[in-house]
Amino acid sequence: MNSRFIRALMIGAFFVAATAGAQTGGRTAPSAGAPELGKSLPSAHATSVYDSTRRYDAQALRFESHWGSADIIRGASDSVVATVGWFRSFDIEKMVASSPRAVTEAHAFETNNFRGSLVTALGGATLTAGILVASNMSNNASSPVLIIAGAGAVAWGLQHVSLSYAALARAMWWYNRDLSR
Amino acid sequence: MSRLFLALGVGAYLASGATAALYAQNATYEDSALRLEGHLGDTRIVRGVQGTVLGRIGVFHGIDVTKVVSPSENATMEAMRFAHDYGPGTLVVALGIATLGAAVGVSQIHDVNRGITTGLTIASTGLIIYGGTRLESAYNALSRSIWWYNRDLKK
Repeated sequence: MNSRFIRALMIGAFFVAATAGAQTGGRTAPSAGAPELGKSLPSAHATSVYDSTRRYDAQALRFESHWGSADIIRGASDSVVATVGWFRSFDIEKMVASSPRAVTEAHAFETNNFRGSLVTALGGATLTAGILVASNMSNNASSPVLIIAGAGAVAWGLQHVSLSYAALARAMWWYNRDLSR
Repeated sequence: MSRLFLALGVGAYLASGATAALYAQNATYEDSALRLEGHLGDTRIVRGVQGTVLGRIGVFHGIDVTKVVSPSENATMEAMRFAHDYGPGTLVVALGIATLGAAVGVSQIHDVNRGITTGLTIASTGLIIYGGTRLESAYNALSRSIWWYNRDLKK
């Protein structure tokens, strides 16, 4: 009775596992022959997942910010491969060249970051000049104009810097996505 | 005979558990991977190719990041670091900005001791720098958290 019970358990498990194997195989390896699916695909899948994780561990990118600039970090070992931002240039397009979508986003990052950094710096200088003029108690009509223009330029510039980092995040997302393919 | 059917059923159930796990592994990067995008002072947590916004992190609202990344152990640890630094960082920066405002206001008053203005300006600068450092540390932990979460999608 016991052996029949165990045999029935095994048969039930075998039928469901075989069906699942065939379904997964249909998606991952459409050209594979049906008789081999049940046997070979689970281990192939496991190997592929392992390789994919290992590739991600070694090559996937992310960035961490440091007072206006960003360190681009590769892999689980936290190695800094580049620093970008505040007039620091690095060819990110080249770095993510293996992924076309990532290259588009990297280009958007570079354009917006340069524009944003430049306008923020100019705005900051104008704002500082306005505050200095105002704090000298001189009733100079130029001080409100300088403060408003400077603050506006800083806001516009920071918005573009923010947009640029969103593009950088997308670039890395696409690059990391294409690593796993 | 009924025991036989029961055993068949149990076997099928156990194997279907494995099937569910297999499907979970297949729902990977394209649909589920997260990223961060800044937008008008807020940071959005965005999922997948569609760019579904899961939540926003800003001065007046937040999202429980630990809950979002809970399937990944490393990601959860980093999310806890984010939560630890984000609140105090925001508070101290806000305090610093308020102090800076007070310094500018005081500087406009005639016959006020310049030492007060200088003291307020130095205090505000210190608060903003300290708070900014905490916030930066928080956002870097968030970035690591999402990196680990996306990495563990493949397991």
